Amino acid sequence: MGLVRRRVRRPESAISFCLMAVLVFTGLGVFIKQSDFEMARFGVDVATAELPLRESEKSKDDQTVLSSTVPMGFQSPSKIEIYNTENLYEKINGKAPLYTESGFEKLSTQRFVNTTDESLWAELYVYDMGTVKNAFSVYSVQRRAEAEPFPPMRFAYKTSNALYFVHGKYYIELVGSAESDELFRAMAEVTRKIRANLTVDPDAEIAELALFPQEDFVSGSIKLYLVNAFGFEGLTDIFTARYKLGDETVAAFLSRRSNAQDAQAVAKSYYEFLINNGATPKQTAKKILEGKIVDFYGTTEIVFAIGPFVAGIHEAENQQAAEQLAERLFNKLREVLGSANNE
Amino acid sequence: MNEQIDKELDRRQFLTRAGKAGIAIAATGAVSYLFYDATGPQPRSKTEELVTLPDFSVPQTAGQTMSIVKGYDRVKTVDKAMELLGGIERFVKPGETVAIKPNVAFASPPMLGATTRPELVAEVVRLCYSRGRAKQVYVTDNPINDPASCFRLSGIGKAASRTGAKVILPKDNLFGHTTLTGGKLIRNWPIFFEPFKKVHKLIGIAPIKHHHRSGASMTMKNWYGLLGGRRNIFHQDINTIICELAMMVKPTLVILDGTQVMMTNGPTGGSISDLRRADTLIASCDMVAADSYGCSLLDLKVADLPYLTKADRAGAGTTNYESLKPILATVS
Amino acid sequence: MRIVQTRRISQVFFFSLFAWFCIVSTVGDKLWQLRGWPVNWFLQLDPLVAIGTILTTHSLYWPLLWALVVVSLTIIFGRFFCSWVCPFGSIHHFVGFLGNRKKKAAQKVQLNKYRKAQCVKYLVLIVFLFMAAFPSVGATLQTGLLDPIPLVTRSFNLVLLPIADRSVNVTSVAGRFYESAWLIYAMFLTAVLLNLVIPRFYCRFICPLGALFGVIDRFALWRIGKNQNECVNCRLCEKSCEGGCEPAGNIRISECVLCFNCLDDCKHELISYQTRPSLAGEETDTDISRRGFVLSLASGILAVPVVRLSNKLGSNWYHRVIRPPGALAEEQFLQRCIKCGQCMRVCPTNVIQPGGIDGGLENLWTPVLNNRIGSSGCQLNCVACGQVCPTSALRPIKLSEKLGIGEFAKIGPIKLGTAFLDRPRCLPWAMDRPCIVCEENCPVSPKAIYTQECFNTVRDGILTVKKATNETIETVEDNLPLDKFATGDYYCVIEEGDERTKIVGNTANSIEISPSRQLEEIPAAGSKIQVQVRLQRPHIDIEKCIGCGVCEHECPVSGKKAVRVSAEGETRSTDRTLLLKG
Repeated sequence: MGLVRRRVRRPESAISFCLMAVLVFTGLGVFIKQSDFEMARFGVDVATAELPLRESEKSKDDQTVLSSTVPMGFQSPSKIEIYNTENLYEKINGKAPLYTESGFEKLSTQRFVNTTDESLWAELYVYDMGTVKNAFSVYSVQRRAEAEPFPPMRFAYKTSNALYFVHGKYYIELVGSAESDELFRAMAEVTRKIRANLTVDPDAEIAELALFPQEDFVSGSIKLYLVNAFGFEGLTDIFTARYKLGDETVAAFLSRRSNAQDAQAVAKSYYEFLINNGATPKQTAKKILEGKIVDFYGTTEIVFAIGPFVAGIHEAENQQAAEQLAERLFNKLREVLGSANNE
Repeated sequence: MNEQIDKELDRRQFLTRAGKAGIAIAATGAVSYLFYDATGPQPRSKTEELVTLPDFSVPQTAGQTMSIVKGYDRVKTVDKAMELLGGIERFVKPGETVAIKPNVAFASPPMLGATTRPELVAEVVRLCYSRGRAKQVYVTDNPINDPASCFRLSGIGKAASRTGAKVILPKDNLFGHTTLTGGKLIRNWPIFFEPFKKVHKLIGIAPIKHHHRSGASMTMKNWYGLLGGRRNIFHQDINTIICELAMMVKPTLVILDGTQVMMTNGPTGGSISDLRRADTLIASCDMVAADSYGCSLLDLKVADLPYLTKADRAGAGTTNYESLKPILATVS
Repeated sequence: MRIVQTRRISQVFFFSLFAWFCIVSTVGDKLWQLRGWPVNWFLQLDPLVAIGTILTTHSLYWPLLWALVVVSLTIIFGRFFCSWVCPFGSIHHFVGFLGNRKKKAAQKVQLNKYRKAQCVKYLVLIVFLFMAAFPSVGATLQTGLLDPIPLVTRSFNLVLLPIADRSVNVTSVAGRFYESAWLIYAMFLTAVLLNLVIPRFYCRFICPLGALFGVIDRFALWRIGKNQNECVNCRLCEKSCEGGCEPAGNIRISECVLCFNCLDDCKHELISYQTRPSLAGEETDTDISRRGFVLSLASGILAVPVVRLSNKLGSNWYHRVIRPPGALAEEQFLQRCIKCGQCMRVCPTNVIQPGGIDGGLENLWTPVLNNRIGSSGCQLNCVACGQVCPTSALRPIKLSEKLGIGEFAKIGPIKLGTAFLDRPRCLPWAMDRPCIVCEENCPVSPKAIYTQECFNTVRDGILTVKKATNETIETVEDNLPLDKFATGDYYCVIEEGDERTKIVGNTANSIEISPSRQLEEIPAAGSKIQVQVRLQRPHIDIEKCIGCGVCEHECPVSGKKAVRVSAEGETRSTDRTLLLKG
């Protein structure tokens, strides 16, 4: 319209610029506010959980997996540390032989620190033990007394500040700095991520676990000693399980050897070992256990071989309970062998 | 000169406005401060103020706790039963207000025995006024069916008005939430409270009935009428709720009418054949004892009704009514 | 720099900020996702939200303290919010400008003249405030229907953004869906298009927030006005007047939205933003007639009891109104929900939907779960909705409260409702088809859906044996569908009660039996065998079911689902429980 531009007065200009400044500060304020956040308050990291994992992302090596396990609300201040058989001692000191003698291959560790509370942190240990049996062994022999089950995982337990579990050939520990629900939630999240992303052989199974009779079995009590079970060199690959017969606690054991001959040999040599160390043979009414029971300084030891299995009772207080359990074990193994023969 | 005045006026106007604006802002600030809520609403808000039913009981007199009167005429039997306990005047003092809670649960005619007989209610009201010299008697209940129909069809509404008692029908604003100390079920639950808040004495009057769910419905189950909300949910744990009702309500006395007992198909009945004459009326300061005796008229034992033992254990009364030395009498 | 330039920049700034907040409202930690962006800021600045909730709940929820700032600034400076901040206002301003810029000045002046109907917005405000203010008739917060900030928020979040994002998929992986979005859009579009009739139509005639500002700005220290008496009455100042306040003459302060167009357009610099009242006269009162006031008062007071006659808050409550976790009990919820749609926007599974009126009129555009839409019912480990509710109609609960763990282990988890099986529609219950999708997907542990095994003889499943061996049974019937029984769900039994053996395959006239479980005795020719299907029939454990709706979402009977969540058992209401607690 060809209007002459109005002359702008100083006050108007000044006020305009002031208001612009207000806008700028508002924008800045908003921008600063956006960086102060805590994703944990929304629950699970839903944005990434929503996206389906593409196939190529699924199989990753454990390095990349570990770096993606950082739980929400936490950060990883340091890099992932790797240890092998040579320097494992530097990380876990005296415990190293337990692992190195059980097939240990590699340890990867990482720490997670809570973003708002520095005193809240957890350390993740991923032990690559080579086989699921080895992993189960180191898991089972270190099981704490105050262990609580951690469903739905089978080989897992938690204590007031830590989580321990087996994932394929990996034995994994998550140790927290405090007894904290928040920390626990984070550890559960890490566990989920590991189980989802760290690929393991799905067919790996520990067959011996199903061989123990169920009756009176104390849940979670199976341990696997790879070597030197009961102080005897010849006893390798021994699974033990605790049973509660009435008031008596009795420990049973079994092991699968390569064949029946080998089993006989192992049973015999252990029996002789006991005798040589002061055990005295005991009488028994049960036919199947004849010649298999000794009294070893007040405790009852039973060892027998059936098929390729070596099995028996270790250090039982009560001979009757020991015999009863041994009989059950014997029958169970016989049944297993019987149906195996039929296949 | 004009400009000066103008400027003065302007400035004064400005200041006036500034003052008003300042007050407005201050008022807004005050409102914000007063109503400021730093935490937001909390889960299952327990902001309801809890009410508690008063204790209406009178001091016990040994030997005058329970009376059992045989007879067919309810007016005569209840008169006798009250006399044996020391007369209504032992319980109701002159000038006091009394609430009577009969069983008005169903819109059912009196002869079917599902509700308290109107002549019984009328007589008790009359006693309260004449011998007790009560100032005002209320008759109230929170029925299952439509309240107005229940009071009308059961005849109790008329019986009340005939004798000068006031009927109080349940309305939403007459309820309050309560939690029973030591209760598992009555927690923050609405109860029919207002009529009982202001009275001095509370008398419960119930017929003896068989009950499909609880086994029997007598003076303890009668207090179910005080529960509001979705009270049928308590049928999932019927014995506990009856026991808790006995713990929650401490009436002055209860009257259990066993003149015509509903033997089967309770609590609604529906047929005269469901009834059996037992010609008994019980008045008692201990409702557990009254029910413990009353169940025998249904051919049941105390053990058949778990809520009796529960209530005994909870201290609401005793199942061993013999120990109260009930006074027996017969009227023609 | 001219003040109108600043104003325009301010409008662009706040509008962009608002749009940005809408875009980033996706849960996540990327810069374009939620992070710590204060996405509720506009709603918190809105004084109508604050005042509405104060009236209904007698409390001021702390984040709404921002409203105090806006109110204070309005009292001092006037209705700056309307033309400097309000994003809806900016839209109206812009569309009005676009629609009318080709018109002659005289025409525009006509369009901007004050109209008596501008008092309607005050009546709207009164109706809403009285609906909120009287607890004895039942307080309800319905300001959200016409309050511009919630209105524009839900229009953007539930309509414009999902459509814009459809092809780029930035704000969500799959597209978003919202029921009855058309109605929200219709309202938005109508308001926007009305600007082509009269500029800022909504602001002048309908907006209750503008009305609120109009009421409180009567003491403004600075206001638009003429600073001299010599005016040629060219009326150019009213050419672009946004508020319809007639600055040329008796300026109506309550209508002036401080757009400063008049100040800018006046060629003689007669108009300024000054402390002294306009020399051409000013009017600070709002133009409501007593009759209008009384009418709105009565409508507002009557509206709620009239609506509540349907007893939707009592025993006639609608079972399909399933509210998100953290929702308050219904009456308290309706006192706070401003229908802004933030919860619907943020919900990662898209299951929160704007409600319709089948749950009652007050249910319109409140959050209701529809398990058929979205990716999976209410995700177990998510509490995002409560975190973004500006008024705490959905409480910002912690995950531990939702799951019933930790300090909340005693109370147990929050239940949104309970799943109910529609057995006549359920495959294993009514159609002899194995299916346990619901049980598999139930996310709680232990599962709230459990199965019971049962074996049913299939249709035409009684077959006559022609010849049988340990592994194969040849049948007289030769019309068996090929491999129908090979799925591993079918069993063969000679007589009911006998040991069953699994069928691994079949041809048209023979059945192949599992090698690991042979028949106890080989059936003779001419005898009958039964083919049975192994069904795992689901049952709901109502003690454990939290009503999350995953089962309903996954049920393969995709039209009317065979398992549906209903609001009975929701923990937010004591009178809708299903079970006796404790």
